Amino acid sequence: MKYPYYPGCTLYSKARNLDRCGRLAAARAGFELEELPSWNCCGAIYNTNTDDLAAQVGPVRVLAKASQQGRRLVTLCAACYNVLKRANERLHATGFEQDRQRILEFVDEPFEQDVEVVHYLEVLKELGWDAIRQRVVRSLNGLKVASYYGCLMVRPREVLKFDDPENPVVMDELMATLGGEPVRFDFKAECCGGYLVINRRAVADACSLRVVENARTWGAEAIVTTCPLCQYNLESAQLRRGTVLTPVFYFTQILGLALGLEPAELGFEDNKLDPVPFLKEKGLL
Amino acid sequence: MSSQDNSQLVSQIEELSGQRVSDCYQCGCCTAGCPVGELMDPPPSRAIRLLQLGRAQELLASEGIWVCASCLVCGTRCPRNVDYAKIAEACRALILRAKRSQVDPDVVDDQDLQDVPQQAFIASFRKFSV
Amino acid sequence: MKRRIGVFVCHCGINIAGVVKVPELVERAKNIPGVVTALDYVYCCSDPGQRLIRETIQKERLEGIVVACCSPNLHEATFRKAAAEAGLNPYLCEIANIREQCSWVTSDRDAATEKAEGIVRTMVAKVSHDQPLVRLGVPIVKRALVVGAGIAGIQAALDIANAGYEVVLVEKEPSIGGHMAQLSETFPTLDCSQCILTPKTVEAGRHPKIRLLTYSEVAEVSGFVGNFRVKIRQKPRYVDLDACTGCGICLEKCPVRVESVFDRNLTRRRAIYRLFPQAVPNKVVIDAQHCRQLQGKKCGVCAKVCPAQAIRYDDQERIVEEEVGAIVLATGYELFDSRRLGAYGLGVVPDVIDSLAFERILSASGPFAGEVRRPSDGRVPKRVVFVQCAGSRDSNQGVPYCSKICCMYTAKHALLYRHRVHDGEAVVCYIDVRTPGKGFEEFYRRATDEGVQYLRGKVSKIFRRGDRVVVWAADTLAGKKLEIEADMVVLASAVVPNPDGVALARRLKIPVDGWGFLSEAHPKLRPVETLTAGFFLCGCGQGPKDIPETVAQASGAAAKVLAMFGQSELYHEPVTAVVDEEICVGCGNCERTCAYEAVRVDPHRGKAVVQAVMCEGCGACSVACPAGAINLKNFTKQSLTEMVDV
Repeated sequence: MKYPYYPGCTLYSKARNLDRCGRLAAARAGFELEELPSWNCCGAIYNTNTDDLAAQVGPVRVLAKASQQGRRLVTLCAACYNVLKRANERLHATGFEQDRQRILEFVDEPFEQDVEVVHYLEVLKELGWDAIRQRVVRSLNGLKVASYYGCLMVRPREVLKFDDPENPVVMDELMATLGGEPVRFDFKAECCGGYLVINRRAVADACSLRVVENARTWGAEAIVTTCPLCQYNLESAQLRRGTVLTPVFYFTQILGLALGLEPAELGFEDNKLDPVPFLKEKGLL
Repeated sequence: MSSQDNSQLVSQIEELSGQRVSDCYQCGCCTAGCPVGELMDPPPSRAIRLLQLGRAQELLASEGIWVCASCLVCGTRCPRNVDYAKIAEACRALILRAKRSQVDPDVVDDQDLQDVPQQAFIASFRKFSV
Repeated sequence: MKRRIGVFVCHCGINIAGVVKVPELVERAKNIPGVVTALDYVYCCSDPGQRLIRETIQKERLEGIVVACCSPNLHEATFRKAAAEAGLNPYLCEIANIREQCSWVTSDRDAATEKAEGIVRTMVAKVSHDQPLVRLGVPIVKRALVVGAGIAGIQAALDIANAGYEVVLVEKEPSIGGHMAQLSETFPTLDCSQCILTPKTVEAGRHPKIRLLTYSEVAEVSGFVGNFRVKIRQKPRYVDLDACTGCGICLEKCPVRVESVFDRNLTRRRAIYRLFPQAVPNKVVIDAQHCRQLQGKKCGVCAKVCPAQAIRYDDQERIVEEEVGAIVLATGYELFDSRRLGAYGLGVVPDVIDSLAFERILSASGPFAGEVRRPSDGRVPKRVVFVQCAGSRDSNQGVPYCSKICCMYTAKHALLYRHRVHDGEAVVCYIDVRTPGKGFEEFYRRATDEGVQYLRGKVSKIFRRGDRVVVWAADTLAGKKLEIEADMVVLASAVVPNPDGVALARRLKIPVDGWGFLSEAHPKLRPVETLTAGFFLCGCGQGPKDIPETVAQASGAAAKVLAMFGQSELYHEPVTAVVDEEICVGCGNCERTCAYEAVRVDPHRGKAVVQAVMCEGCGACSVACPAGAINLKNFTKQSLTEMVDV
């Protein structure tokens, strides 16, 4: 199965490992990600102002591009998923017809069909946990993993309809499939501080540390994320505090590990908190 | 600023955000759940209260609207379906459109430029600068 | 020959006359063919107004009248009675609703007058075709069915039984008492719930006029007001009620332990059990789902130890049939499942419990014999946060209405906690404190005077930190977010109608509101009746309410039943469907259409037959009949055609 795929800017540089593990793991799981040709930035954050149509042009152009490749567009970065899905929903909203026309005047690509924005995790779930379980070559061996979804995967609930917004479970199901022990915790969908890390670092750090501490309270040994900014904040907040407690992975790294990617393919060198000693201690490397 | 100008501002904010401040019954759930609520001044419920009282200018002059991380927890749990993140966004837009940036892209720390995902930069500049 | 018709236009003060030009309407009415007189009066419903109508009927020898006034729901009966007193058949009096359907919804005076004339013309056309009708007399079975034996159902049953009529009291649980039996003490007087309830349960249990059917549910109701046939499903109890002495030996010997729903899962009971020690009837029951013997495994311990040999593993479901004249629905409430408020952690964060669980903790017969302890580790909590509006007043994740009782029981919880844990800290997070009841405000004051801390702000999130529970709250009066570390959190979950009660109401076609609460016939003036004749309601199934209000409403419902039983026979409106057998081909469309099961096709003759006393006169069959063989009395096709052709 081949899916049009939108990596987004961050996955081309600072979150290379999220992207590369995602692509390689997909091949192992039995599907292929086909990158959109000449894509552009989605805008990284969704603008909610009712009159701000300019901010819609970027994501809408991505959707138009995708429509030429297929019916569904797969995303991996939580921010891209959030922005594209919301832009797509607004494009089709009733009462938005005039604005839609105005936006489309600025988009140089025609729409071939309606596009559905899906997340990589949703593709995995569709494949079926049993199918994935059969391809696991290195079980997580009961590793206690907290799945951290943050904000962008689940909110706004009425648009994303991704999962239970207070207690999403898709990633937990994946971790269980890979042989891990998913750890339910209270901060699965609380904020990491997001982009406040740029200009209000202490505030963002406090948010991130609360997430890590709560995951530990519930017994987590490691945390997995879907978002480059969550990943960065959770790791760097721990680094800045000086006491490093819990390794943080992109879920695709753990998926790749379980599906038998080579250590060199897993991009651990790009993690801010070197997880290799931890994985060795757990007998997973 | 006259009360008429203020009430026009409130209407403008309501239109831009698509929210109705009269829907809010001041339970404070948004303030309670805000991940940065301790530091936000005024916190969300107070901010909406200012608008209910027609004191829009006071809110626009406040620090609080710049502390929001757009995590959307407030709106998700609001018992009256008011989305404060959209209101804060509208307030910021009114100021940014008058060309008053809060974050200056030219003074970003070099080390940060190396480290922080660009997703954060774009988001931060889109929310806080012209 | 045209009938002599009179038109009376009511001003209804300024309700009608403020919009409709009454003098002009009167003049226009006089020009309607058949109308021999038209008059107006400021309040037709007043005594002089009615007198005017009576005298005019006699003086003008009227053969039909139209009163142009408010809705027929309000005063049709008044004016028909006046007509009858003047010697006119009451069904020759019609109402032209020019208030609700005209003056209240129109501001343009000319347009309103025009419309009012149209309405009057329509009703004149109708009354010209109306036939004199006679009300149908129906005998009454003077026995009542009460569904639900919580405090509402018990009170209603006792009141009816004490007036000398038989009552069938049906309860789906194995014993009676409802939620009140779970409560510790009751606000605002703090008397023990069990102590004030048990005299009632005991009286109901041994009342010679009350037939108590526990562990039973209403399966089917047929018939009509005064003459209902009810089928009641008695679930197998696997214990012979007559033989069981309630000695309790089996309760000690049964090897199975399951979570006790009565104790909100805080304790474990056996597979053979009774809800609580003072249960009425004080007999045990076997939970077939968990009983080893009934699940086909080897056991049989209870049968071996029972000195009365009361165990019946081969017990079967039974259907009991009863005939009753009136039915009281007292189907009660449940707590909103606050696990649906994902951010509150109920069911996952240890020591977050709901209010009924806290009632059990406070109760002397509860899990800790009345001591306040944490479910997780049995420790005495030193700080308890009480979270109000857990689901109430929440159009997003809960229910939009106020559950009414939570402010008071939370004040009680906080107070009782402070009474039992003297150095304990009680914090109440609230949106508004509502105390509209006798002694309620004083009780709330007592709680604050005795050191309960009230914080105005709705809680957003509850989570675990080590072995403590953290609450994210707000003090909206100070404009601050607060983080409170506590040892235990109690959620004041919203009151929702009991889902079995809602299902029953839907089956019986008793109207419920958007949330499943039973709808009363009129929100102010008929608060204990339903719109279906013969069905009455009381208790929390109709809406959240406290114990005194529930008891008062139950007695009100009983009084309505007794007023009905005090009559020698019931009268049924004669506006019913009639079949023209010459035309009827017996296709059965009418039978399928009728919501009241009042029309049946006689299988032998192949003709539709209307049972008049069950017919509510809705007219659906008349519309459904392809041959035009069914007409509604006084709404014949000819009459309707002329009514719209004015």
